[in-house]
Amino acid sequence: MNKVTTTIDHSVLVNARKASRKKNLVSFLNKIKKNKAAVAGGIIILLYILMFLIGPIIAPYDPFDVQLDQKLQGPSLDHLMGTDDKGRDILSRILYGSRLSIGVGISAVLFGGTIGTLLGLISGYYGKWVDSIISRILDIMLAFPGILLALAIVSALGPSLINVTIAVGFFSIPMFARIVRGSTMEVKKLEYIDAVKTLGANDMTILIKHIFPNILSPIIVQASMRLATAILSAAGLSFLGLGAQPPSPEWGAMLSNGRDFLFTAPYMALFPGIMISLLVLGFNLFGDGLRDALDPRMKN
Amino acid sequence: MTLFILKRLAQIIPVTLGVTLVVFLIMQMIPGDPAIILAGEGASQETVAELRENLGLNKPLAVQYTDYIKNLLQGDMGNSLKNNQPVFEEITARLPITIELAFYSILITIVLGLIAGIISAIRPYSFMDVGLMVVALLGISLPSFWLGILLMYVFSVQLHWLPVAGWDSAKHIILPAVTLGAGGAAIVARMTRSSMLEVVNQDYIRTAKAKGLKGYIIILKHALRNALIPVITVVGLQFGSLLGGTVLVESVFAVNGLGRMIVDAIRTRDIPVVQGGVLVASLIFVFINLFVDIMYRFFNKRMDLN
Amino acid sequence: MKQETVLEVKDLQTYFYSSEGVAKAVDGVSFTLQKGETLGIVGESGCGKSMTSLSLLRLVPSPPGKIIYGEILLNNTDILKLSDEELRKIRGNKISMIFQEPMTSLNPVLSVGEQIAESIRLHQGLSRKEAWQKAVDMIRLVGIPAPEKRAKQEPYQLSGGMRQRIMIAMALACTPDVLIADEPTTALDVTIQAQIIDIIQNLQKQLGMSIIFITHDLGVVAEICDKIAVMYAGQVVEEGTTESLFEKPLHPYTNGLIQSLPKLYEDQEELSTIHGTVPSPYNYPIGCRYAERCPFTTDLCREKQPELLTVEPEKKVRCWMYSNEWQGETHMKEMTV
Repeated sequence: MNKVTTTIDHSVLVNARKASRKKNLVSFLNKIKKNKAAVAGGIIILLYILMFLIGPIIAPYDPFDVQLDQKLQGPSLDHLMGTDDKGRDILSRILYGSRLSIGVGISAVLFGGTIGTLLGLISGYYGKWVDSIISRILDIMLAFPGILLALAIVSALGPSLINVTIAVGFFSIPMFARIVRGSTMEVKKLEYIDAVKTLGANDMTILIKHIFPNILSPIIVQASMRLATAILSAAGLSFLGLGAQPPSPEWGAMLSNGRDFLFTAPYMALFPGIMISLLVLGFNLFGDGLRDALDPRMKN
Repeated sequence: MTLFILKRLAQIIPVTLGVTLVVFLIMQMIPGDPAIILAGEGASQETVAELRENLGLNKPLAVQYTDYIKNLLQGDMGNSLKNNQPVFEEITARLPITIELAFYSILITIVLGLIAGIISAIRPYSFMDVGLMVVALLGISLPSFWLGILLMYVFSVQLHWLPVAGWDSAKHIILPAVTLGAGGAAIVARMTRSSMLEVVNQDYIRTAKAKGLKGYIIILKHALRNALIPVITVVGLQFGSLLGGTVLVESVFAVNGLGRMIVDAIRTRDIPVVQGGVLVASLIFVFINLFVDIMYRFFNKRMDLN
Repeated sequence: MKQETVLEVKDLQTYFYSSEGVAKAVDGVSFTLQKGETLGIVGESGCGKSMTSLSLLRLVPSPPGKIIYGEILLNNTDILKLSDEELRKIRGNKISMIFQEPMTSLNPVLSVGEQIAESIRLHQGLSRKEAWQKAVDMIRLVGIPAPEKRAKQEPYQLSGGMRQRIMIAMALACTPDVLIADEPTTALDVTIQAQIIDIIQNLQKQLGMSIIFITHDLGVVAEICDKIAVMYAGQVVEEGTTESLFEKPLHPYTNGLIQSLPKLYEDQEELSTIHGTVPSPYNYPIGCRYAERCPFTTDLCREKQPELLTVEPEKKVRCWMYSNEWQGETHMKEMTV
């Protein structure tokens, strides 16, 4: 077989595919722009990213600075969100805490998403007994309701934010694996893959260059959905005292602390809750818009 | 149909075993020697060694596992490290409370969700619809533990209508059940709405109109029955987050259910209790899923043949 | 023999409003239907025939559509002026409709027997048992064997032809005066088509009803219709008895349609077609809407829209050729088919 010809034909296929994907991407982005909810959600997410990046820099006070004579003050010009039971400025704690709360979510999703995607690719591509075993393992992981699996893992490893990240990442794996497996199996069936195979591409090349780019969009949708869940779960675990330990300004932990002072200083619980809710709201709006844009039935 | 049930039951067995294995292995991951922890500080070497022998910690892992399974089948989940009571008893005492909470929560999820979804779908883009959908969006965005705190603040602290915590009277059930059920209700409402909107545009609804049927009959008999099919799936999926959510909600409202038991046990490192609790919760979940699967299949025979 | 006029449609106009403008789907359609008569409405997709039929029962999706003008007289009562309650009493009862896609037009989660029976219960006030029995009878009437068993089945358990028969049974259960059949055979196999047409014709003889048969298939129309109305771009362009229409089509469009039917008895090298396309309903030309594609177009055609003229009893045509003002060269009147 003429090696040069093979390479040329190969790249023609790849380029054609890239071109059609680029066209899809452009029309897709246009559809998102038109969807008001998606835009609103996107703006909220961007604001949070901003907070993540520069939050600690613009914080007016030191979040760990205990000032007992200032404790339990309501929102004022000095302290926009008031102070907590140890006199610390809540706004500053929120800003610092954004790195923790959002960071945990991102890390967990990266961790779980990577492993899940790998498992899904292998399972979907090779099929047969590899698929059976992996699917069986996924079934078992999915047999644990809600955050129970994460709970069990944290209980074993001990309460800390890192362990919460690992635990939440772990229990994100099956969702990614499932979706990736399904998409991989679909893409595998495309004639395009057969064509590339007959041109002599090996499995690894096929997986990386051909299958993976085509399953990217469901992965991204899933990742954005899981990000919200991960942040919620991590905050929940911290709320239970299993994650970030005091005096960490993680939002879930702040909520837990605030609960004890609900009668006297309700704003201690109010603000962290709002921050979490708003972020999840942003993701939901964006996710809704993403879904509508991807839906082949929505024309106008 | 029976074949399907049997097949699914057969599939459950490896999953169930897998769950027990995972729970067992996770507990093994705990750093530290359980015997030392149990014996306490300053215990003599012999006491610790004896304890290890008694707890069977010297046997190979596989044997420990099979022992574990054997004990489980006899209802023996070990004893709590705190008060040395059988874990099994503590679970059986608290499980009914969680089940009651879960029951009322699902009730709220289904009833509130369906009503909201149907009202929205009947007049899409109306004031009512937009309002309900905004509330639904909030419902899926607010973390359950925060919602619980908010409700607690409004209804207990400020209005004094409902008790803050506990589980003694009917009034105690309301806030936790609403908190737990709200998220699900929001999801059901959104799903019902979109499903109804899709159904209402179908040809067979036009046929129903062409026959001169009355409006409410078209909605309830013709449209809803079709629209509910995907909603059932969604409700089925809710059980998972529901069971997981009891952990959080029970902690917020100090309800003495299974969820709170697990959380407290994690804090005090009471391993057998955590093990038992997680195991029981997961097994219940597995069987609920099986049940929902079968129900779905039963209502959906026509889908397969199409 | 004086026949009764069962249905009279006068100047019906149904428009659709959207961001793209106003689509005049039905733009001044008139026809009459006598008792026991079968009227065929033919035309290409988009000519407005389906919308006309939907308008008759006020089933036009609204928004974006709206019946903005006209009269639809059923035994001298104007349907367009009825209240919702009165309208419902007519639907499925005095006027029934069957649709093109039996697959999607039946409710997948209800038994076919129930779908027939509910109509009977509603309009004829029979009890559940009586209505069910009558539904079974109707299923038998449309030629489905083992009707008691079939009545309990759901649509997915029946074949396409059977589903269409169920639709017919459902439509005729309350012995309506008028049956509107909107392309009932288009989605079916040719052999099944013949069966369905047979059933419809037999039932018409038995029950003495009038039928409006909508289709784009001239072959079908030739077989079962007494009278034909040809529609183009939202208007009726020719109307006449089946025989006279096929023997001597007046409108160039009708002629074009008939010419494009493959001929069995002659050698044809090419199938003839009508070149050009239908004008957009958002933007009809000022003059005759067929002028673009017509081989006989003159300036008059492009400037003014022709009215629907009665050239002979029972024969109407919307074409300048048959008016006194005609100054065209070739005269179709002199052409034979």
